[in-house]
Amino acid sequence: MVQYILRRILQAIPLLLIISFVLFAFTNSLGDPMAVFAESRQRPTAAEREMMRVRLGLDRPVIEQYIIWMVGNDWMLIDARGDGVELTPGTRQGVLRGDLGMSFVTRQPAWTRIEERLPATLTLMIPAYTITLILALAIGVYSATHQYTFLDNLITGAAFFFYSMPIFFIALLTIYIFSVQASRWDLPALPIGGTGNGSFVDLVVHMIMPVFCLVAIQLAAYVRFIRSSMVEVLGQDYIRTAHAKGLGQNTVVQRHALKNAALPLITLIGLDLPFLLAGAVVTERIFAWPGMGRLFIESFERADIPVMMAILMLLCLMVVTFQILTDIVYTWFDPRIRY
Amino acid sequence: MTTIQQVQPVVTLQPVKGRSNLQRSFARLGRHRMAIVGAALLTLVVLFVLIGSLVIPEREAVFNDPSRALQFPSAEHPFGTDVIGRDLLARTVYGGQVSLFVGVTAVIVQMFVGTLVGLVAGYMGGALDSLLMRLAEAMLSIPQLFLALIALRLFSDPTQFPDFEFLGRDYSSTMIVIVFVIGLTSWMRVARIVRSVVLSVKEQEYVTAARSIGARSGRIIFQHVLPNCLAPIIVSATLGVASAILLEAYLGFLGLGVRAPTPTWGNIMGQANSYINQWYYWFFPAVFIMLTTLGINFLGDGLRDAFDPRSLR
Repeated sequence: MVQYILRRILQAIPLLLIISFVLFAFTNSLGDPMAVFAESRQRPTAAEREMMRVRLGLDRPVIEQYIIWMVGNDWMLIDARGDGVELTPGTRQGVLRGDLGMSFVTRQPAWTRIEERLPATLTLMIPAYTITLILALAIGVYSATHQYTFLDNLITGAAFFFYSMPIFFIALLTIYIFSVQASRWDLPALPIGGTGNGSFVDLVVHMIMPVFCLVAIQLAAYVRFIRSSMVEVLGQDYIRTAHAKGLGQNTVVQRHALKNAALPLITLIGLDLPFLLAGAVVTERIFAWPGMGRLFIESFERADIPVMMAILMLLCLMVVTFQILTDIVYTWFDPRIRY
Repeated sequence: MTTIQQVQPVVTLQPVKGRSNLQRSFARLGRHRMAIVGAALLTLVVLFVLIGSLVIPEREAVFNDPSRALQFPSAEHPFGTDVIGRDLLARTVYGGQVSLFVGVTAVIVQMFVGTLVGLVAGYMGGALDSLLMRLAEAMLSIPQLFLALIALRLFSDPTQFPDFEFLGRDYSSTMIVIVFVIGLTSWMRVARIVRSVVLSVKEQEYVTAARSIGARSGRIIFQHVLPNCLAPIIVSATLGVASAILLEAYLGFLGLGVRAPTPTWGNIMGQANSYINQWYYWFFPAVFIMLTTLGINFLGDGLRDAFDPRSLR
């Protein structure tokens, strides 16, 4: 087991290296981060822009920039004033030592930018995901144990319906009904966007609509997944055996069927959990939620490469970590699997 | 002396009228209720954008008149007008054509790249295989919208491509950019499916037999490998159109998709985002996006059932 985990970690390292290099090459060689400064109030001259490029090290070849990004530049002298003389020792420590670089736009460490946004994203995504899972388990199991009844058909139809809906449609509809129309009819209206005034109650009130939308969008896929794996398990011989030895329906479903049907669900959750960190770009945009999705879009629009790279690498690291964790957790739940 | 008589066979063997697997699958599809509903929905949407463009001239979709901005739906403008007074019915019709076109062509790109990568990886094996599969894995570990944004940077300056004219209508160059952005960021699952089919087919006896009589790789690929990939490719292409249309809509919604003057369902939604009070502004394009993806998902689900070798009906 330990050997297996070690091997997986060793395999993950080259993968992360490939990802980081490809992403770095793409984000860096395309688009000019200096173009943003050209639109600022004090428009820099061409010479000043060139100097800034040199100071940020953007004039170096991509491969050299990548190495600096990885291991830092405190072991070499850099041209800090942009006058062609390399005198000042570098200050960057590199990703491998936990330095994700400075944001081009705000001049803060990229990690600080992420730290600012991550809590907001998690406050939104974790409750939404938890509610989705609980509802999906309840609905999916009901649907599977009541196959081809009216309610099951209704659930399957509704699942398809919500699965096909673009999230902005649900979001705009809920805003229109519960904010716009509700205030028109003098009913208590829900706030349209933002995170509220800081109090917990206000935060929850602001979360109702975005969480509802996220649940509505995600739920369908999970319900369909749980229903189909439940249906498969319910057709197994050991379920018939359990029924035959006189166990009640609830015991059979909970103790025998659900436990086995939950196994593929673990893999699905393990694959989806890291993506919660990415936030929900469109939902955050509509509800003015200051999360990671919006941070990525903002960094993208301003060509803030260090922040983009920091977000992307954080995600990839999480995906890889969760894949390994999922495999480990899986062996606990399914003792048939040995590594 | 006994004469040997010609014995007439009791049963005459008649050539069985063969139906290929594909034909059987499509017969099964015809009996799939959801698939029929899906196909009907799609037909409705396609008829809407086609007949609509015959009835409404194209200039209606771009003609603006600020004096009639944000009008409620009326007999003259059944879907109302947008913020600069363009007729939203015309924009939904012509935007729909672009959205559907982008969805289908993006999937063609996606299928081409995916099949090619899957074939090469599965057939060649070795270092190339693991490199390509690591790349697919890497791209799968980033949300597709993020990937699309990075790919958008590839074509960072949209003005470097000229706007073009096709069949007498002007289109924004960004339309082609978006097609490739979507196609090049969604091939990974197809590549994985094709690769796994290739790996299993490669070990079959008939492939060994074909190779032993001297068939070249090209012949083996086109004669034996690709036909076996056909079913999963058709299913994922169908479902892929739905996700391509959704991705186009999300990009358009964020203001990063196809640019003016070309309308799409996505960029109409993007403009309508600030006018939530005017429900007719965002409602109709969203409904059409939904009907399209719903129809495709129904159809795709039916196709999956029809091609499933376990459902032998």
